[in-house]
Amino acid sequence: MKPCVFRLGAGLGAAPFLLAGMMLGNAASAEGLKMGLLVPGSVSEEGWNRIGYNALKGVEEQLGAEVSYVELQQNPASFSKAFYDYASQGYHVILGHGFEFQDAALEVAEEYPDTYFLISSSDIHEGKVIGLNTDTSQPFFLMGVVAAKMGKKAGLVGGMEIPPIQQAFAGFKAGAHSVDPDFPISESYIGNFTDTTAAKESALSMIAQGADFVVPNASGATVGGYQAIAESGGDVRTFSIFSDFTEVAPNNILGLYVADYAQGVVEVVRDIQEGNSPESNVIFGLKDEKVMQFTFRDDGPVSVPEDIRAEIEEISAGIAAGNIQTYSD
Amino acid sequence: MTQVEQGGRGDAASRPYFRMGRILTGTATAIALPAAAVAIALLCGAVLLTLNGFNGTDVINVMLLGVFQDMRSVSEILLKATPLILIGTGLCVAFRCKMWNIGAEGQLYAGAVAATLVGVSFEGLSPWLYVPAVMIAGALGGAFWGGIAGYLKVRFHASEIVTTIMLNYIALITTSYLVTGPMKDAGAAYPQSARLLRESWLPALFTGMRVHIGIVIALVLALALYVFLYRSSAGYAMRVVGINPHAARYAGIKPGRNMISAMCISGGMAGLAGAIEIAGITHRLYQTISPGYGFEAIAVALLAGNNPLGAIASGGLFAVLRSGAELMQINSQVPQVLVLVIQGIVILSVVAFAAFRWRPGRKS
Amino acid sequence: MQDLLTLGFLAALLGAAWRLATPLIFAAIGEVFSERAGILNIGLEGTMLMGAFCGFAATFATGHIGLGLMAGIAAGMIFGLIFAFFTITVKANQIVVGAAINLLGLGLTSFLFRTYYVSTGRGVEIAAPVRIPWLSDLPFFGQAVFRQNPIVYSTVIVTILATILLYRSSFGLTLRAVGDHPKAVDVAGRSVAAYRYGAVLLGTGLAGLGGAFLTLGHSNQFVEGITSGRGFIALAVVIFARWSPVGAFFVSLLFGLFYALQLQLQAQPMGNVPYQVFQALPYLMTIIAVVVVGGKTVAPRSLGVPYNER
Repeated sequence: MKPCVFRLGAGLGAAPFLLAGMMLGNAASAEGLKMGLLVPGSVSEEGWNRIGYNALKGVEEQLGAEVSYVELQQNPASFSKAFYDYASQGYHVILGHGFEFQDAALEVAEEYPDTYFLISSSDIHEGKVIGLNTDTSQPFFLMGVVAAKMGKKAGLVGGMEIPPIQQAFAGFKAGAHSVDPDFPISESYIGNFTDTTAAKESALSMIAQGADFVVPNASGATVGGYQAIAESGGDVRTFSIFSDFTEVAPNNILGLYVADYAQGVVEVVRDIQEGNSPESNVIFGLKDEKVMQFTFRDDGPVSVPEDIRAEIEEISAGIAAGNIQTYSD
Repeated sequence: MTQVEQGGRGDAASRPYFRMGRILTGTATAIALPAAAVAIALLCGAVLLTLNGFNGTDVINVMLLGVFQDMRSVSEILLKATPLILIGTGLCVAFRCKMWNIGAEGQLYAGAVAATLVGVSFEGLSPWLYVPAVMIAGALGGAFWGGIAGYLKVRFHASEIVTTIMLNYIALITTSYLVTGPMKDAGAAYPQSARLLRESWLPALFTGMRVHIGIVIALVLALALYVFLYRSSAGYAMRVVGINPHAARYAGIKPGRNMISAMCISGGMAGLAGAIEIAGITHRLYQTISPGYGFEAIAVALLAGNNPLGAIASGGLFAVLRSGAELMQINSQVPQVLVLVIQGIVILSVVAFAAFRWRPGRKS
Repeated sequence: MQDLLTLGFLAALLGAAWRLATPLIFAAIGEVFSERAGILNIGLEGTMLMGAFCGFAATFATGHIGLGLMAGIAAGMIFGLIFAFFTITVKANQIVVGAAINLLGLGLTSFLFRTYYVSTGRGVEIAAPVRIPWLSDLPFFGQAVFRQNPIVYSTVIVTILATILLYRSSFGLTLRAVGDHPKAVDVAGRSVAAYRYGAVLLGTGLAGLGGAFLTLGHSNQFVEGITSGRGFIALAVVIFARWSPVGAFFVSLLFGLFYALQLQLQAQPMGNVPYQVFQALPYLMTIIAVVVVGGKTVAPRSLGVPYNER
């Protein structure tokens, strides 16, 4: 964030920039690519909002775009305003990071038919409003398989019941139950994305009830879950999701699921720039190796045995090829 | 900004002799004080920005220039001001009656749920009937949620501070349950209600802009509540209960009934704000529809000295600051949360000014 | 479902309840002092956030938890000083100033966190659990309940000290008199303002400590809004506890217990009960408890009223 401020401060100065935007109006669109981002919360935490921010930075670095973002703290009244602000200042692509931005994007798109509106976690495709979805149920399916093969009971700690999290947990359950239909899995939601303390206690309580494979998925509060796992000793296993949490729970993490959503967004924006915009909504999955990486750790005290790894490889290929369903409504 | 209330004493309006004078000077201070306070707060904001490596003056410039940039920006400010004014004026009534309602956020959600239930259900209804029906449903939902706390206070002496805080959580959790469960849009993967029927949407004030008649409702009701508080016997009774419930009883006023009414009024206003957000902006119910308007409005009411007319000004001011903060972030990537610091300093400056202003008068 | 009735379950529940109660105990006991002296500080949420952030920042920079805790207390007291200046010296409405403090706390901590810590993503080492001889060896309960870090244990000491200070010292006696009959104290030649400043600083220091526990004794990172409403819950605790430190300890523990219980219940396979029912449980139980114990409140008589010295 800081370099960006410095760039503005040194180069243009913020006020002239705005005034220029006002005076030139749409003439600004003659310049290079400009991309805006709307996130529903703070980009300062490892989590959902940071993923959106990284996508924006990716477009800035790889495509040389001029970028800007705004945090809207779950304020629906501001959604279309922010879209309008960007669209009227000549931004070509605006990423609304979350399904909740969909309605507002559709509304603003009517007035700005040349602007592309990308919506994260959505399956929409209407004109230039395009949904981008990372199918988290796929890597979670793989985690579920590992859990059922290596553990006795699994626990899932969620933030709020929203599609990216629901989907992930559904994938986990489907994966685990594909190995053992009776594999016990407990699930709980802390009801927000900020309370690390609640996330930690929730994971601890699952472990106290016998869970030995726990995956937290609560955006900013996720780290609390990993702490609980780390403090419960090496018998509890987990996977690091979205970010690398191995520093927090070095003795427990079997592997990493990292979604390079940024790379996916960069590809889509590049296509748009080159004139081949997507013809349907975009779903990233294990087939997109640049976007979704599921890896095992070899440097830790615990690791996944070779035979299970081979099996996971096979399942992963099956999912990528579309032969295995990881999630059904 | 008539006066910042001093713990039950010095309630000017209870002394008719001073009333007209207070209203006039009140109106003058309502403009002058916040203006000075805002200037101080912006200055502090600029200093804070500069200390942390931003270009403070530029950022504040953008914020001030930008929010009044064009009609659309003004329209967006009005959108944000609407719930703040509605809830803020409602809270003025509760606070005047010494009911510390911290639960406006929950009452807003209760209203939004009720409004959504009505808004998705009656196909083919004329907008002339449908819009008022949705508004009334929202107000009733909020009034019910606020009334619970009022009833528990009167019947069981359960502190309204405690119950309203808890009812906030319960309202949010219930909303979350409803939009992920029974009220979830059939067929949608997302936790959201069905879209409100178009006939129930609040009409826009001007074509091409999002500002809707909600702001008119807010202004009219603020005025009405002012008249109610200061020009009606029922409002007078409520204020007397706030100043001294025992004295009120001697005067033949029933404190309990007034306390519950005050909670219902402030809850109803918050519920109406929820209905307006749903019918005017989102057209759906989500798990989170308010960025904390219910809490921000507490500051709005208190900043206005619990005077509904003042709450129009302070609600508008907070909306301007919020819009400016969004712009500031878009244009110079300054964390938007800075606006909270600015709002906090505005309040502190205003109370400091008010205290120095009224101190001489208090001794007489 | 049978899992619910085992001793192990109960022990885990108690252990979790104590940890969840710890920040509430500190903040609520602090607020007891403040309110006993007649000052209602609804700015606890913002004050706790400052404690959480400054505690984290100090430990992050120095690596010492002790320094972090002290920084948390100091940060709380700085906010306390601002609050006290406006409410006691300027004599402004306490609720107004408290609301401003909440805004300042959330805004300032979030702003500073973003400006300085955005891309670190690293945490601090949190306080390690300590065994207590004999108690930690108890069957079932020893493992789950008495394997906490010293900050959690210290809640008991703080409660005892607070009780002695409030009921058995001349400071406490005068403090309570200040809350009930400020004029009498004034007539007796003691400064009401000085006692109120003292009470507010004590209270906000403890609130800062409660906040610092979140980042140094439980989670190892600061997250914006990490207090998640605990400052407001602490306010409720004080009223429910009828302005007594021991009461604040047990009411906080009760709230922690219900919170821990809801987390445990959510994780149980319970058929079709929506998990939100469990989420709402602690809040619903608090309302029921307040209604049941209700009765005439025994609030300090001058609570919320500024005092004009003669």
